[in-house]
Amino acid sequence: MKKVRKISFTTAASVIVVSGALIVAGMAQAKPPRSETQIAQERAALMTAVAKGDDLWHSAKLGNNGLACANCHPDGSASNVHTWPKFQTNLGKVGTLREMINWCIAVPMQGRILEYDSEEMIAMEAYATYTHRGVAIAPAKDEQHGAVPVKSGPGYPRH
Amino acid sequence: MKKFSRRQFLGMTTKAGAATMFAGIFAPSASSMLGLGGVAEAATKKIKPFNFAVLTDAHLYDIADHKFDHILEKAVADVNSIKPRPDFVLYAGDLGQSGKKAELVKGKKILDKLKMPYKIIPGEHDYYLDMGKAWRKLFGDEHWSFNHNGVHFIGMNSILVPDFWTLKKLTPKERMHMMEELECHNCGAWGVGEKQLNWLARDVKRVSPDTPVVIMTHSPLWDYYPRWNFQTYDAPEIREILRKFDKVISIHGHVHQVVYNEINNMRSCGLLSTSWPWPYPPVELEYPHIKQRRADPGDFEDGLGGHDITVNADFDAIVHWREFSDLLPDNIKKGLKV
Repeated sequence: MKKVRKISFTTAASVIVVSGALIVAGMAQAKPPRSETQIAQERAALMTAVAKGDDLWHSAKLGNNGLACANCHPDGSASNVHTWPKFQTNLGKVGTLREMINWCIAVPMQGRILEYDSEEMIAMEAYATYTHRGVAIAPAKDEQHGAVPVKSGPGYPRH
Repeated sequence: MKKFSRRQFLGMTTKAGAATMFAGIFAPSASSMLGLGGVAEAATKKIKPFNFAVLTDAHLYDIADHKFDHILEKAVADVNSIKPRPDFVLYAGDLGQSGKKAELVKGKKILDKLKMPYKIIPGEHDYYLDMGKAWRKLFGDEHWSFNHNGVHFIGMNSILVPDFWTLKKLTPKERMHMMEELECHNCGAWGVGEKQLNWLARDVKRVSPDTPVVIMTHSPLWDYYPRWNFQTYDAPEIREILRKFDKVISIHGHVHQVVYNEINNMRSCGLLSTSWPWPYPPVELEYPHIKQRRADPGDFEDGLGGHDITVNADFDAIVHWREFSDLLPDNIKKGLKV
């Protein structure tokens, strides 16, 4: 985290120039300029969260009846991450993906819900969202969506 | 005694014929709906019309009073209520979830409540804890064939993978745990293997090409979505061996959903589970109108059910997906002619 904060003290001019360049290059960042190494580190941090989420997604430990999220949502599919927030019948209100994850843990899996801002919940959201990268945001679209097709491997860079 | 030998099976084939033929297959509503052949045609052919039921993918856990136990019980009761009564029941694998003997014993206890004999094949969830040992002890051979009313039925174990565990020094439990994941990326592609291919070639050698064939495997005999093993790697060889037949109907579990495909003389039908419905994978379907609507996660029986398959004298089979809920589109609500 410290490294990222340091970056924000760079001069305004270079921020504009570099951020412009980054946008052109298709990789706009919140607080440029950042070195390749820093970008790689931040990327790695995300992928660590995705991998943790992947493990939780496939773990029966979140529930109490043997089920894992992946029983019904292989590769994160049918979590429809691009459609939230929306009115969800089982929630009985307009809810978020995190609320739905907790509903699934509590009801079909009979487990104990996660804190909404816990590392675990963020990791689960990171995994589900990463498996839908590139899918257009479509609030309340009433359609089950597959995850991004995966040919082999975990479907993302994992070490 | 629910399991039966080939001889027992052949013995029971005669009783089913007449009763099934008039009560079920040629009921006015069904025949006008689906354009079935009439009774006159039936008399000239060698198939005696009949119906059989199919169940699959119970995924029972070794947990008392689990919801999946009740769903399988419901499916068994539903099959027992089918009229006319199915001549027999086929079970397409994944009776258990983690390969534990207790799961399979529990499953057998429930399946034994079927009022008709049944034949079963293993799924990966039944298998990779002890490499099928408990399963074989309870259910017998992993592959088999029999003739019924003029139709040749084949069952095969399609979930065999090359050894990925010895080099990694995995425990049986670790191996099973990996296989339990649909997306297992270190487990390899499933198939029936050379031994079973040779057996199949021998089995059908003396079966005449005009004999209708029904083949049951756990995984589909076509490349649906290999990532989730919605495939069988040596399916092309299986299809080639069965190519001489006029028509082959392939039924498979594993996909937990209504899905259909045709390759040459083979028509493939995906079956409903009694555990959870799987989403459709991100691929284009050749027959997109033959699929179920999305399930409500709040209804634990949504998208689940059993099957009744009727066979008429011309081997026009009608597959009825007997969903507990109402997710079938209108075009297949009354069955699909395959």
